Amino acid sequence: MSKAAFPVNDLLRRKIQTSLTIITLTLSVASTLFLLLFSRRIGFGITSVGGTLTHGLSIVFSQFVLFVGILIFAVGAVITSFIVFLMMKQRTRDFGLIKAAGCPNGLVFGYFITELLTVTFLGCVLGVVLGVVADFAVTNIFHFQAYQKTPDLWLAPLVFAAFFALALIFGVKPMLDASRLSPIKALSPVQYFGLSTGPKLKPLSRFGLTLKMASRSLFRRQSASIRIIILLSIVFVLLTVSISGGMIANDTTQSWIENATGKDTILIAHSSMGTQYKLLLSKFVGATENGDFDYRHESLAIPNAILQQLNSTPEIATVDARLILKEHVQEVSNFTIDPETLVTIPVGDSREGDSLIVGVDPDKVTATWSLQGRFLNTEDSLEAVIGDSISQTMFSQPLYQSIRLQNQTFSIVGVCVDPINNGKVTYVPIEKLQNLTNTSNPNIVLVKLDLSADRSATLAQIKDKITSVNSDLTVFELDEVLQENLGFLGSAWSTVMLLPLFTLMSAALCLIGYAMLAVDEQRQEFAILRATGVKPNAIITILAIQSIIVLLSSFAVGISLGVITTLLILVPNPVVTTVTILEVAALLFTALAGMFLLSLYPAARFAKTPILKIIT
Amino acid sequence: MTMEPKDSVVHVHSLCKAYQLGETEVEVLKDVNLNVARGNFITICGPSGSGKTTLLNIISGIDRPTSGKIIVLGQDLTVQDEDFLAEFRCDNVGFVFQSYNLVSTLTVAENVAFPMEWSRKPEAEIEKRVAELLETVGLQHRANHFPAQLSGGEQQRVAFARALANDPQLILADEPTGNLDTKNGQKITQMLRMLKADGKTIIVATHDPEIMQLADQALCLEDGRLASKNE
Repeated sequence: MSKAAFPVNDLLRRKIQTSLTIITLTLSVASTLFLLLFSRRIGFGITSVGGTLTHGLSIVFSQFVLFVGILIFAVGAVITSFIVFLMMKQRTRDFGLIKAAGCPNGLVFGYFITELLTVTFLGCVLGVVLGVVADFAVTNIFHFQAYQKTPDLWLAPLVFAAFFALALIFGVKPMLDASRLSPIKALSPVQYFGLSTGPKLKPLSRFGLTLKMASRSLFRRQSASIRIIILLSIVFVLLTVSISGGMIANDTTQSWIENATGKDTILIAHSSMGTQYKLLLSKFVGATENGDFDYRHESLAIPNAILQQLNSTPEIATVDARLILKEHVQEVSNFTIDPETLVTIPVGDSREGDSLIVGVDPDKVTATWSLQGRFLNTEDSLEAVIGDSISQTMFSQPLYQSIRLQNQTFSIVGVCVDPINNGKVTYVPIEKLQNLTNTSNPNIVLVKLDLSADRSATLAQIKDKITSVNSDLTVFELDEVLQENLGFLGSAWSTVMLLPLFTLMSAALCLIGYAMLAVDEQRQEFAILRATGVKPNAIITILAIQSIIVLLSSFAVGISLGVITTLLILVPNPVVTTVTILEVAALLFTALAGMFLLSLYPAARFAKTPILKIIT
Repeated sequence: MTMEPKDSVVHVHSLCKAYQLGETEVEVLKDVNLNVARGNFITICGPSGSGKTTLLNIISGIDRPTSGKIIVLGQDLTVQDEDFLAEFRCDNVGFVFQSYNLVSTLTVAENVAFPMEWSRKPEAEIEKRVAELLETVGLQHRANHFPAQLSGGEQQRVAFARALANDPQLILADEPTGNLDTKNGQKITQMLRMLKADGKTIIVATHDPEIMQLADQALCLEDGRLASKNE
């Protein structure tokens, strides 16, 4: 056989191990590439915060994507290291035999580096293809059609190179160690099992005996066992962050959007203004509003007669009349004083830009925002609450600064998360806005019905009342837009939560690889046990105990770190309900049970093998 | 068809065993018939590949015949499932392999104890029996060592002690001295002599003349057929 043919034939001979290694690497590469492509596509990627959604939401998403990305990459590194370690571990005896037959160190290393390069190349290429296909498929299947554009394919060679380097860096070490092992050590059982004596005999029950054999074998393979525990711990951190974090963040961000938009809210406006308002809300999911819209057009004004009629309808709980305009605004610079040095520090850069201006009566708003600071207090104060995106793009320390509108300065008292106009919004008292712009009437009215009211009957009554005054006015239900926005958020989080599936599959394959190593190393012992009267099921029990020990220790570490990371770092003011906790627990335990069952596959397969096929 | 004699421990009738090697069928055992009475010491010799190990494996229930009948201690092994055969081996058959086959994760004492633990014997009885057996094979001082720390002869003696742990009625040994030097071989022969004196039923596949001398009946397997050594 030629020198070049040996590694290829060797890989083909060990089909299961080779496939396992390639698939594992493929999944790691694919999940990383998909994460980068998809997050950049919808605008909250690691390198592209802001621009879409609102700034506050983008920050939550980006932190998640960054954290999940780091974890996926870390898992990829550990997985790569582990699978190469497994490859080498299963070959220690082969090394001994090859070297005992006279093969020099360099040639042995050459054989196995060729194997590593072949496997890594195939895994990385397949991973890149799978990552690009997954990005394309998810974009077309879920609610992301609005974000269809050419993917940033320059990321593909980057991920390929990163993982290729990773495999080489982490793969060469165990390979060097194995190729340097002397043949006598590779072949000697004493080298393998050590020289220390065991404990004094203490007779045990069947289960005790099974447990003893399982734990001793596990401890004997300690380098592999420690590696798999570290790997699975990181995977469980990733899984917890993605699933629990994803669900909590989904609930939290959905509650922000739902509260800011207002559930069951009815919009009354001129039909064109109503359509424009809905488009402004839908910008969150990629819609575009009419840029030339004239908010001050007199036909859009809501007559006072309508407001009076609405206010006098007993079934209506809140009438929130608003004046909406698009205006040019300026950042007003200020100074703060360093509390330690008492030195004044300038704040702000006199930046300017366009903002949606919403005049509201602070006592009659239908929404409750997620706020930093507070909302407007009184009708006559010169105060403003700005959206999170405008706060990020135009202000340095917004709560210490003011905003200038029509040469009038408003102190900023709060920063809110609001989907309207992607968070580029400024709330001011309606009376001040009307005075400033010489506009006498609001141009939309948001209405909340009393909970006890018959909704359809009241809606019909409102429609009759407003059309009797002005037939151009229309009643819109905002729940449709709200559901669209919430659906988009849900889909985005579901996609983030999908990512660990790839990693989970990789980890499950690694666990199978570990179980195969366990079977491989113990096959002679298991055959002896069976030959001396132990039932095949007892062998499965021994391997199951080993899997349980590995899985539960990783699960405990991973879940604890994952929960701490999610609640303390990733989601500010998390909304955690009992249902969410139960859902998260169910999903995590399902993942645990699934991995456990998969890990039993090599054991079940082995238990069916006739004793004579395994005993020497 | 021959009837199973009343005092028969092993009754083999028209036993055939064939293996499939690619497209070729290799017949290892051909129409083997054998009766082993209680307390008999049988040796089986034959060239390498003649089927000695296969016959012992079938008698112990580790392997199954292609056709024929095999009744051991009144149980027809050809109709039993894996679980039954495992329990049967544990309680009734002591098997000594040529290559020792000790469990590497268990110490010497634990290796001897585990068939008894598996048979759910009382703790005190297990401790007493392990001590007795290790004294018999002269390895008390090695009780807490692992198999990898023992010599071949010592490992084979542990294998004998393990085979005797549950005081089985039938002892099978597959070339027990095949891997040993003369001195260690003699120790094993001495143990077999002792077991014969205890009235155990013993079947040994061997070429060792010293062991053959102990035999009540010496058989030879040649070309898959069993014949008396004198024939």
